Amino acid sequence: MPRTSTLECPGCPPIRALTFDVLGLVKVTEARSKEGGIPKVVDRWGEPDSSKCILAASIDDRKSGPLLAIARKGGLIEILNPLNGHPCLSISNIIDNGPQPGDDAIVGLHLFKKQNLDLSSRSCTLLACTTKGNASMRSVELTSSHADSTSSVSSRTWNVCASGNILCSQVDGNENYALFGGKGVEVNVWDLEQGTKIWTAKSPPKNSLGLFTPTWFTSATFLSKDDHRKFVAGTNSHQVRLYDISAQRRPVISFDFRETPIKAVAEDQDGYTIYIGNGSGDLASVDMRTGKLLGCFLGKCSGSIRSIARHPELPVIASCGLDSYLRFWDIKTRKLLSAVCYQIIVMSNYLNLLFRSCYVVNFLC
Amino acid sequence: MGAKRKKSEEVGGDDEVGGGKKQILPSMIKNKEKRSAVHAKLKHQKKIEKRKKAKAREAAEKRALELGEEPPAKKIPHTIENTREFDETVCKPDDEELFAGNDADEFSSILNRKSDPKILITTCRFNSTRGPAFISELLSVIPNAHYYKRGTYDLKKIVEYAKKKDFTSLIVVHTNRREPDGLLIIGLPDGPTAHFKLSKLVLRKDVKNHGNPTSHIPELVLNNFTTRLGHRIGRMIQSLFPQAPNFGGRRVVTFHNQRDFIFFRHHRYIFESKESKQGDSKGNKDKDAKGEKSSQGKVVARLQECGPRFTLKLISLQHGTFDTKGGEYEWVHKPEMDTSRRRFFL
Repeated sequence: MPRTSTLECPGCPPIRALTFDVLGLVKVTEARSKEGGIPKVVDRWGEPDSSKCILAASIDDRKSGPLLAIARKGGLIEILNPLNGHPCLSISNIIDNGPQPGDDAIVGLHLFKKQNLDLSSRSCTLLACTTKGNASMRSVELTSSHADSTSSVSSRTWNVCASGNILCSQVDGNENYALFGGKGVEVNVWDLEQGTKIWTAKSPPKNSLGLFTPTWFTSATFLSKDDHRKFVAGTNSHQVRLYDISAQRRPVISFDFRETPIKAVAEDQDGYTIYIGNGSGDLASVDMRTGKLLGCFLGKCSGSIRSIARHPELPVIASCGLDSYLRFWDIKTRKLLSAVCYQIIVMSNYLNLLFRSCYVVNFLC
Repeated sequence: MGAKRKKSEEVGGDDEVGGGKKQILPSMIKNKEKRSAVHAKLKHQKKIEKRKKAKAREAAEKRALELGEEPPAKKIPHTIENTREFDETVCKPDDEELFAGNDADEFSSILNRKSDPKILITTCRFNSTRGPAFISELLSVIPNAHYYKRGTYDLKKIVEYAKKKDFTSLIVVHTNRREPDGLLIIGLPDGPTAHFKLSKLVLRKDVKNHGNPTSHIPELVLNNFTTRLGHRIGRMIQSLFPQAPNFGGRRVVTFHNQRDFIFFRHHRYIFESKESKQGDSKGNKDKDAKGEKSSQGKVVARLQECGPRFTLKLISLQHGTFDTKGGEYEWVHKPEMDTSRRRFFL
C-alpha cells in the first residue's frame, strides 16, 4: 500500500471571491453547492498583460449597484461592476497636480460606502494613496455610459509623508479616519473630513544592546469597525504592534512572529482577534487583548501571503499569496477547507462574498 | 513467562488449524525464534508463488509466440514516479496565462535573446579545498562567467555591484567543512533568488575516462520540470546559458529533475554509425554525417562525460534579490509538506 497521508479537505460553504493578480486579471472563484462544494474559478475578466498589473482594489458592496475599484500600474483606476465585470468608469490620473511619474505607484485604494441619495447621477468617492505619499480623495460621477470621465465633483490632494515610501493604508469602519504607514514612515492617522493629521506613532526605544531598528511598516489594519483608535501594524522585522491613539504614541503591545516580514493583517469581527500572514507563508491568529498567539493555520502554504480576508458571516477566512494558491480556512479549527490553484502569481487578493440569494456581502483585505 | 508460552502455542495452533482463516502477522508474535521461523516460512511461500507466476507468464508468452498470436500485454510496474500524486500546478501546453506570465517574468529578456547572460561567480567567506576546484570547473561549463574573490563584502553589496556592472546572474557557492554544499543563484536586476543544496559533487579529475570540454556554447537539456515552480526554476537555469547553442561543438549540459533532485551532467557526444562498410566517421564533425545512415548500420551516439557532476535540491525560492530577513518567499520547503512519499514540487 502506498504510504500517503493526504488531508481530505472538506468543502466550503457557498462563497464567492474575487482575486487580482500581477497580470492584470480579475478572477472570480465560487463554491456553488450548499455543503462540501469545491471552489472553482468561474470567470476571468481582462486580458493577461503585465503592464496592467493590479496594485490595489476596493469594493463597495451596496445591494443596489455594487462597485469595485481597482488600481492598475501606471496610475489607471477602473471602476467595475463586481457581479459581471463590466467597466463603468476609468480614471487615468487621480493625482491632480503634476504628471504622474512612472515610479509613483498607487499603493492603497478605498471606495467609500457612503450612500449618495441622489440616484440620477451616482457619484462615488475614492481615496487613493501612492508610494511617495500623495493621497488624494476624489468624487467622481458615474454616468450610465462607459466614458473616460475625469469630471470630478470634488477632489483634494495632500501629502502624507515627507520622505520614505508608503506601504500600507487603511480607512476605518466609519470612514472618517485613515491611517498610512510604510518604510521610513511612522504610522499616522488622519482625519478625512478636515484633512489633518491627528496622531503619529513613535517608535519603540532602543533595545538593550543599543540597537535601533529602522521604521518599516508593511501592513496595518484597524482593530474593529467602530473604533478608530486601536489598530494593529505589522513590520518588516517580523513584529506585530498594537497601537492605541487614546493611550500613548508608542505601541501598547508588541510581539514577534517567526522570521519574515508580516505581509498581511486582517481583523476579525469580534474586535480583538487578528489574522497575520508573513513572508514565508505562515498564517496565524492572535488575540490582541493579551498578545497571545491562538494558533497557526497549517496547510502547505509555501509562498508569502499577500493578503487575508475574512468572511463577514461564515467562520471562513481566505488567503492568497505568491505561491499562486487561494486557500480557504476554517477559523475555529484552523484547518484548510480547500485550496484553489491559480495559474499565475496572485499579487493581491480582494474578496467579495456573495451568497446564493444574491445578497452581496463584502469583505475586503 | 507462562503467558508468553501460552501465546506462542496458541499461535502455533491457530496456524495449523486456521490456515487461511486468520492471518497472523509475524510482528504480533513476541517470541523471537518463533517469529523469525514464521517470517521465514511466509517469505518462502511468497517466493514460491512469485516463481510460479513468472513461469506461468513466460510459458504463456512462449505459447502465444509459437501460435503466432499476440503475447499477453506486459504489465507496467508501479514506481514512485508513476504513482505521483496529482499536482494541479503542472503546466499544460495550451496555457496562455503561462505564456503571458513567461513574457512578464524576469528572464524573458535573456530568453528572448535580447540580452546576453553574464554570470558572476563568488563564494562564501571561508573557502577551501574543493571549493576553488569546483568553481574553476563551473567557469569552464558556463560560458561568459567571471569569478571574483569574496573578500568580506556583504552579499547585498555584491548584488548592487553586479547590477552596476551589468551582470545578469550571480552564483554563490557555499562551502561547509571544506566541501561545497550550497548554491545560490540570484537573478539580477531584481530577479528571484534560488537556494539549492548541493551534494554528490564529483570533480572532473575524479570522473573515469573524462573528456575535456571545449569552449563552444553548449546545448542545454532540461528534463522533467513540469510544475509551475519547476518551470520557473527551469527558466532560471536556462537564463544562465546563452540561447544560441552551437550544435557543431557537440557539447551538452543536462539538468535532469527526478523526485525533486536536479542532476547535473556535462557530456561531449558524437554520432557514429555502427557498421564497417562506410568510411571512418569517427573524426567527422559535419552535421551531415550524423544523419547519414547506410542501409546496414545504425547511428548511435557515444557520450563522454566531462566536467563536474553534482545534484541540487531546491530549498527555497525568494521573490526579490537576496534578503533573508526582509524578503518574501515564493516557495519555501516546510516539513508539513512532506506528508506523502509521492508528492514532489518541481
